[in-house]
Amino acid sequence: MSVTTKENKLLLQEKQDNNKNNHPKEKSRYSLWNFWICSLALKILLFPDYYSTDFDVHRNWLAITNKLPLKEWYYEHTSQWTLDYPPFFAYFEWFMSQFVPKVVRDDGCLDIVPVGQFGWATVVFQRTSVIISEILLFVVLQWFINKSKDNERTQSFIVATSIILSPGFLIIDHIHFQYNGFLFAILIASIVAAKQERYLLCGLFYSIALCFKHIFLYLAPCYFVFLLRAYVLNVKNFKFKSYKDLILLIQWNNLFKLGGIVLSIFGICFLPFIYHLPQVFTRLFPFGRGLTHAYWAPNFWAIYSFTDKIATTLLLKLPYVHKLLCKCIKHPLFPTTREEIQSRIMEYGNNGSKGLVEDVYFIILPQIIPKLSFILTGFYQLLAVVPLLFDPSFKRFIGSLTLCGMASFLFGWHVHEKAILLVIIPFSFLVVCDRRLLTSFMLVSSAGYVSLFPLLYKNDDFLIKTLYTYIWCVIYFFSLRKTTKLSSSVERRIFFFDRLAIIYIIGLVPMVFIIQFIDLLKGKYVIFEKFEFLSLMIYSVYCSVGVISSWIGLSWLYNFDEPLWMTSKE
Amino acid sequence: MVPKKKTLMKNGSTSTVTSSSSQKSKVEDTKKSKKMNNNQPLETETSKESFYASPLYDFLYPFRPAGSQWMTEYIIVLFAIIIRCAVGLGPYSGFNTPPMFGDFEAQRHWMEITQYLPISQWYWFDLQYWGLDYPPLTAFHSYLCGKIGSFFQPNWFTLGDSRGYEGQDLKTFMRLTVLASESLCYIPAVVYFTKWLGKRRNQSPIGQFIAVAAILFQPSLILIDHGHFQFNSVMLGLTVYTLNNLLDEFYAFAAVCFVLSICFKQMALYYSPIFFAYLLSKSLFHPRLFNIPRFAAISFATICTFASMFGPIYFFGGENGGITNLLQSIKRIFPFARGIFEDKVANFWCVTNVIFKYKANFTQEQLQLYSLILTIIAFLPAMLVILLYPRKYLLLYALSACSMSFYLFSFQVHEKTILMPLLPITLLYTSTDRNVLSRVSWMNNIGLFTLWPLLKKDGLSLQYWVCLILSNWLIGNFSFITPRFLPKVLTPGPSIIQLGENYRRPTLLPSNWIWKVIIVLSYVMMGVIHFVDYFIEPPSAYPDLWVILNCTLGFGCFVLFWLWNYYKLFSMTKKNIHQL
Repeated sequence: MSVTTKENKLLLQEKQDNNKNNHPKEKSRYSLWNFWICSLALKILLFPDYYSTDFDVHRNWLAITNKLPLKEWYYEHTSQWTLDYPPFFAYFEWFMSQFVPKVVRDDGCLDIVPVGQFGWATVVFQRTSVIISEILLFVVLQWFINKSKDNERTQSFIVATSIILSPGFLIIDHIHFQYNGFLFAILIASIVAAKQERYLLCGLFYSIALCFKHIFLYLAPCYFVFLLRAYVLNVKNFKFKSYKDLILLIQWNNLFKLGGIVLSIFGICFLPFIYHLPQVFTRLFPFGRGLTHAYWAPNFWAIYSFTDKIATTLLLKLPYVHKLLCKCIKHPLFPTTREEIQSRIMEYGNNGSKGLVEDVYFIILPQIIPKLSFILTGFYQLLAVVPLLFDPSFKRFIGSLTLCGMASFLFGWHVHEKAILLVIIPFSFLVVCDRRLLTSFMLVSSAGYVSLFPLLYKNDDFLIKTLYTYIWCVIYFFSLRKTTKLSSSVERRIFFFDRLAIIYIIGLVPMVFIIQFIDLLKGKYVIFEKFEFLSLMIYSVYCSVGVISSWIGLSWLYNFDEPLWMTSKE
Repeated sequence: MVPKKKTLMKNGSTSTVTSSSSQKSKVEDTKKSKKMNNNQPLETETSKESFYASPLYDFLYPFRPAGSQWMTEYIIVLFAIIIRCAVGLGPYSGFNTPPMFGDFEAQRHWMEITQYLPISQWYWFDLQYWGLDYPPLTAFHSYLCGKIGSFFQPNWFTLGDSRGYEGQDLKTFMRLTVLASESLCYIPAVVYFTKWLGKRRNQSPIGQFIAVAAILFQPSLILIDHGHFQFNSVMLGLTVYTLNNLLDEFYAFAAVCFVLSICFKQMALYYSPIFFAYLLSKSLFHPRLFNIPRFAAISFATICTFASMFGPIYFFGGENGGITNLLQSIKRIFPFARGIFEDKVANFWCVTNVIFKYKANFTQEQLQLYSLILTIIAFLPAMLVILLYPRKYLLLYALSACSMSFYLFSFQVHEKTILMPLLPITLLYTSTDRNVLSRVSWMNNIGLFTLWPLLKKDGLSLQYWVCLILSNWLIGNFSFITPRFLPKVLTPGPSIIQLGENYRRPTLLPSNWIWKVIIVLSYVMMGVIHFVDYFIEPPSAYPDLWVILNCTLGFGCFVLFWLWNYYKLFSMTKKNIHQL
């Protein structure tokens, strides 16, 4: 103890010294340079690692954009991996295909074939393209650090490094194979622009991001309301006299500037496809898919499906429970006889072990239609957006962005577990504002990253993904705890929930290991093969508990805790 | 807008609360986040740090405060394991090359013969196909690993049927056994060793951890164990445990550890003169004459450990009788029937063989004798120094001099044997003298360079380059290349520590200018040899020309280092542990 107090004294003294000779030159400067090089080494070592079908998907897109004229891009269907990203991404692929060296070309990288035939050269080329395009993420985050205020620098630095070292990007981009680092860089650029109150830039970057990957559409309500309220509407000097004055509410000049920028981006994006727009949009929004994936993303529907499975087994095993329930719930909502349940199981062929069907049917619980899922998403996004209408501060904006992401992740139709980045990345910018947000952040990031583990099902990735995620969590949970601001209302923290969250997070470790162990025993005992779907189910149900509780916690703070959201005047 | 006003009013009412509590929070902040305030480097403190401003220092800097030091160890060890896993994704020796495959197949084969055959058969079974030629502890270790593997997947190790089996899961399992063995043996031993020395020498905690990291990121061991596939880390780890026990003055335990090390891999005998001299001197001459209890304890421990290792071989000797079995195992362990060197290796015999063909002019026995004499002459001074001055701080220099002598002059040396001298040399990263550190890092690079032909054959060139560059970059060997041409927004350089405007990064070179020239020149030649190796086909009359060049360069550097090492060893006898 004496050592620490001594150190404190030293630190205080040091701080005073700092204040005395506070030359602008000696401003603390944080660089991501070393982090880039260090992570580069690991990423290059991961070259020979497993890659998913997404690798062939992107290879196919390289081929399509390189070999075919622009108007055929969205019609081509030799391979089942058709182009289903917006045109900017297609341009990006075209741009990269210009740099394909001859070795890689001969390797079969640019052949339009049903299933890609390629070797090591293509792997190196594509993996390198991910690494190079990801530099943008570093540049944007370095910009974010450089622009942040002096007293926020450390926090910004921690946020930035937590993003670039994120296990999400490592797993999804550098092993599984996608270009999320690059795509999220553009989204982050818009967040940074919003922080600097450069709204035009914010709108510009967001629309570019949207034209690269349409999953960002889930965040559109938040951006719309934020830019509307902060940039377009002029609330401050507005006095309501008659309805004619409503015209004065709008700053027409700003509206045209913003609208012009956004529309011109969309113009550049979609204008070359003007005669093929319906085809482009059917590719972008395939509605034929089911509610959940084969592996349920850890969201609300995972719990829902899980409940259905449990209920089915229970009702078949315990007839008297069934009888009791039949008295409470009427027929169309509830199967009256056991035969009906069994016939439903036969009909849908969805007895839990396959999990490969495109459409998901529920046996006991009511079916979910796309409309319901959209209504739920919309409703919760609306709740997240309304406070922004009253208070367009940066904190509020990030909060609502996170909640929008969460709402769409939890209730969206056919959500992929990779979409959790849409929650975690904005949340990283928010969490430094207040210590109480940390519990929520810890829950969603640990559960979210762990839920990505089944993407890499090969055993040789097991240690890399678990150890990397573990050490990331240890480092960043610790550093964030040290550097986040202690909020004014710390007394109002509910410690019980904090403890519970910690127990939950620690519980992830045995879960991951036990499931891996069961997987290993599959070769030995045939009985464990039945558990193939079960282990995935445990993953998604356990992780969804974390994500949902994080959402509840954040929503509570967002809607009912007002000191947290006040902008501090310093 | 009405709600806005309301919030404003609320702000006013709660402002008192917030201001007081924000003050409190500020105090708490300063208490808890020392990291934020440590932006100013304390010149007095940092100038002592030998790796100041290197990327490793930069990464570990935030964890300097006492409250977060525990993290540093986790971070280093876990990242070391992650890097090893990532290297393990690459191919292994003999991948996809029937009929003989390589070291990977040898280890797998041993896991099955130890499992399915009685001990009496271990050293006899099908000697042509990777017959067991390591001491008993390796066999026991293989037995254990094989049993665990068979629990998961019996057809990985079915004697006969599984010959040349190469499955993805088998590879994962085998990589895991190496990783687990290393995590149990080598890593804790190194951490303990570094901390022990660091504490005695009043090194700052961050300095100790940087030394740990520099040792654990030594590329040669990572690439040979996790890329090429071997279990060297077990033997080396046991040797470091021996050192730890000597530091703590548990002599009998030291003897046990060292015997175990020998019984895992006979190569550990390269260290034996030094350990023998040290133990002998400690028990017979220092600090008092004839410390008989200690001597008895050491001898008893040594004999018991040997007996327990070789006992099973004798007692379960089967029909041939125990003695025959024992002799067979020893014959297998010391293969004097093989040539003076195998493949191309950067030692005296192989390099001078270019000028003078030994095999044509001398018989095998003559060569054995000459190499023995040369080796003894080479290591004898180091042994005598230890015999006269059994000091802890001399051990590392003596060990490296001795094992380097063996590497340079002894019989039947592999290129992988360079790991033996590299261990004590790498452990010298615990030194704080930049003259020593620079030579250590130079030796590590040259050592790895001599492994290049082997790693290239294994298809590990990607891993080779990444590990070479990463390990050098981490300890700041590349810090002098800071790109200034990049736009201001990128700010290349250290992340957290703030260097003064005119802080000049020291290059990791010794202060003596002759050595500077030698080291830089050797690096340039390394680059040239790599260049010609990659771009130019060797002349058809000398297909091994580039490899010979590689060995020659390696040999030259090793000899220079060896001489310097002797000089250092002699001059250190008058110094103390703080001047290590």
